[in-house]
Amino acid sequence: MCGIAGIFFKGANSNQVLGKALVDMLDGCQHRGPDSTGFALYKEGIDGLRLRFLVEPEDEQAPRRIRAALAAQGARIERETREGVSFVFDVAFEGEIRPFAYAMEHAAKLVSMGTSLDIIKDVGSSHDLDSIYHVGEVHGSHGIGHVRLATESDVKPESAHPFWATGFADIAIVHNGQITNYWKMRRRLEARGFEFRTDNDSELIAVYLADKMAHGTPLETALEESVDDLDGTFSFLVSTKNGIGYAKDRLAAKPMVMYEDEQLVAIASEEVSLNRLFPGRPLATTEPAPGTHRTWSR
Amino acid sequence: MVTIDLAVTPVREANETMRAAAARGEDIEIANPDARHHIGVGLIAPVRVKVKGSAGYFCAGLSHGADFEVDSNVGWGVGDSMYAGSVVVGGNAGAIAGVALRGGEVVVKGNIGSRAGQVMKSGTLLCCGNASFLAGYMMYGGRLIILGDSGERVGEDMSGGEVFVGGKVANLGADAKFADITDQDLDEINAFLQKYDIVFTGNFKKIVSAGTKLHYGATEPITRPQPHTVFSAEGVYWNPKVTEDIAVKSQIGRYRIRGYGAAKAVPHFTDIALKLDPNRIGAGDPLKSVNLAMVLGNRFGAKPLNLSMPVLIAPMSYGALSKSTKIALGRASRLSGIVENTGEGGMLPEERAEAAQLIFQCLSGRLGWNIHDMLRADALEIYISQGAKPGLGGQLMAKKVTKELAAIRGIPAGIDLRSPSRHPDILGADDLVIKVEELREATGYTKPISIKMGAGRVRDDIKIAYKDGFDFVQLDGLQGSTGAASTEVLENVGIPTLAAIQEALDGLNDIGHKGDMPIVLMGGIKDGVDAVKALALGASAVAMGTAALIAGGCISCMQCHVGNCVTGIATQDPEHEARYKLDRQALAIHRFLEAVRWQIAALTAALGHSDFRQLSRDDLVALTPEAAAITGLPYDPDYRGVAGEFHTKVA
Ligand SMILES: Cc1cc2nc3c(=O)[nH]c(=O)nc-3n(C[C@H](O)[C@H](O)[C@H](O)COP(=O)(O)O)c2cc1C
Repeated sequence: MCGIAGIFFKGANSNQVLGKALVDMLDGCQHRGPDSTGFALYKEGIDGLRLRFLVEPEDEQAPRRIRAALAAQGARIERETREGVSFVFDVAFEGEIRPFAYAMEHAAKLVSMGTSLDIIKDVGSSHDLDSIYHVGEVHGSHGIGHVRLATESDVKPESAHPFWATGFADIAIVHNGQITNYWKMRRRLEARGFEFRTDNDSELIAVYLADKMAHGTPLETALEESVDDLDGTFSFLVSTKNGIGYAKDRLAAKPMVMYEDEQLVAIASEEVSLNRLFPGRPLATTEPAPGTHRTWSR
Repeated sequence: MVTIDLAVTPVREANETMRAAAARGEDIEIANPDARHHIGVGLIAPVRVKVKGSAGYFCAGLSHGADFEVDSNVGWGVGDSMYAGSVVVGGNAGAIAGVALRGGEVVVKGNIGSRAGQVMKSGTLLCCGNASFLAGYMMYGGRLIILGDSGERVGEDMSGGEVFVGGKVANLGADAKFADITDQDLDEINAFLQKYDIVFTGNFKKIVSAGTKLHYGATEPITRPQPHTVFSAEGVYWNPKVTEDIAVKSQIGRYRIRGYGAAKAVPHFTDIALKLDPNRIGAGDPLKSVNLAMVLGNRFGAKPLNLSMPVLIAPMSYGALSKSTKIALGRASRLSGIVENTGEGGMLPEERAEAAQLIFQCLSGRLGWNIHDMLRADALEIYISQGAKPGLGGQLMAKKVTKELAAIRGIPAGIDLRSPSRHPDILGADDLVIKVEELREATGYTKPISIKMGAGRVRDDIKIAYKDGFDFVQLDGLQGSTGAASTEVLENVGIPTLAAIQEALDGLNDIGHKGDMPIVLMGGIKDGVDAVKALALGASAVAMGTAALIAGGCISCMQCHVGNCVTGIATQDPEHEARYKLDRQALAIHRFLEAVRWQIAALTAALGHSDFRQLSRDDLVALTPEAAAITGLPYDPDYRGVAGEFHTKVA
């Protein structure tokens, strides 16, 4: 129950005001999801690997637990900051990502990990998040975002989207819809040793795609297969270190509109979000056809 | 000409300004629309509106007579339920272009999204580019012209109207077929294209309903009537109901259909007792000492409904019920100072005249849904589902689809009518919020807007209802009745009324809004005693369907769907309807409602309260472990001792 948005700047060394673009786009469709908002931003300038944890305000022990867990995994802390309900650790780490991620999950709620990915999500509106986390000032190459209306799970920062593909660096997802073969797909992945942090179907899509990519399947192919493998209604955006992609179900139940020119590609649930990037200008937009997918990368 | 700049003017204010300008006969120009939703919604005057850019969802929706021109694209549902007038879109249109079109012309120069023309009834939708998936889905009438290619499953489950495709047809939908195109078809299409200066030289394929799917084959044999009172009695496994059911299915080879609600025993209000001293019942004049009046529907500043007691008439359609019955219900509701509800299928003028307060229901098929009756209504209601058949659309057998009824609904007479199980434009909470806003915009934020829902995942659904901005909820449990549904669904889908109210309260509690949105509970509420228990559990009011029908002469034979109702209630056959004594039955229903009023007042007084809002869970105990488990009330079987309606502790 939500709205989604994504943007990809095409230039080779694009370092645009990514955050501002996504803040505006999500503000445009905030009516679709007033409870919480989130951003997955890809940017340069992260020292090593960035981990972002959500920490309950009363959990004063969390930073100590995180530091101890990082030390135990052989990760060296380069930088540590606190922002809103999250703690950000930039670390130097050489080992295998998945066991490292699972181990860190025991220290606190890990919501993103990557060498260029940073997921910022919280309760509140796009503008609320901008004022707490200064999202609007973030420069970067591409990103995706989400506004959420909570139904099944509570209005909590950790149930906000985007979802990180738990265990895989730099992969995130935003999804509008409902996957109806969720448990079947999840059990298959669990049987192969994957761990899930939420019961959210978006996390499942992220892990499903990341797993395929880890086995050498290109994102393009992974998306094509997802349209066959996933049941239900969905319009989702996936982002990796190098780009973004979308897939849309065969029933065309969930909206998605796209605008593309030489500089950028912007995709959103509603055209009103795209128009936020170009106020006062009629746009030549297109609606992706049912059962289709596409990717952009550098 | 008036120019409105949406970069500085909110859409709500813009729509007000447009209405005022239109009333003066002034044309309108919209600058900087930037794909905002609801532009020109509910405009009912013959003016020109020029949108200088893209419009969002429901542009020109619920309009009548205005001519819109949009330079660029439109979002979902352009021209939604438009009566007459035109919309010309220079770019592309999103999903469900021309949804529920009741007349007028929608012309899209570019491509159209999926499900274009869903449940359209009349008028023309023209797409100069390509159409996506399911064009003409469940259309009842009108004309859909696609100059380019059509996507998959064109004309899926259409029951009337025509689709013309100039390009490739990917494939036909279920129950659609190709038909020969006539010279008259071509002349009419050419005239239409000429009117909009569109040149097309290709050849058209014509697609119409194959008419094979939406009919029942074998009819059910006539069996000896077992009234619901017998039918629903508990007892042995192979009781007469079960054996008859098997015998009938062995003849027709399909599921059965009937009226009324679930007939199996589930925990209900009889399993709850009031903690009450029977000696206090009826002391003094409870009607004087207890306040029963309430208002409903003022969460967002609309003009609320005024009820003389916390009871409503449940939504029941003209169609399932005869016109005389609807009029009687309307009159009884006025005499008792409460509220009537149109149910599915439109508003009868006679019903409107009789009922002092009337809720107007909007269902998936948009049958009879239109701006004029919206403005005449006292409240608007979006039907998602009902307790008897959550997840299913309406069904009305051909026999009941008379000319008069078809005209109100805007469909061909004499079809086995089914309405879709989902609304075209409500596929999630995110779409629903935009729909609610459309209805508010169309009626200038003056009407309360409620949601009717059957009991499924109530705990989640109630949160959506709250967040999407409904004024109140009409919640219907498993026991709720219907005019027609398959027995499998009637008996087995949904959760009992007791569980439904509990989940609803828990859901609102989860989000910290218990008591912030009224819940009208229904489904098996038989009298004022049940009503008091429901109110004490946490319902804000109750609604009665079956009880009101029985009060007005229904004999519970459960043959509502057949259309030959011997009492003239559930029929459209003039001979049968003639048996219904409208004046007498209206008074009978009114008297029953007054008995309910007395019961509510007397029990509230006997519990020591002076206002029904003082009723609380402290006034209740559960008589069975099951009822206790569902409601969380204390289990106290000692109250079981006393037979009859009122219970007291056996000391
Ligand atoms: C003949 C008949 C027609 C009905 N039509 C509608 C309808 O059009 N819309 C609706 O929301 N509910 C409809 N219902 C369901 C009632 O509104 C209500 O949910 C149900 O009857 C409540 O349960 P009760 O009959 O036990 O009081 C209908 C019920 C009956 C008996």
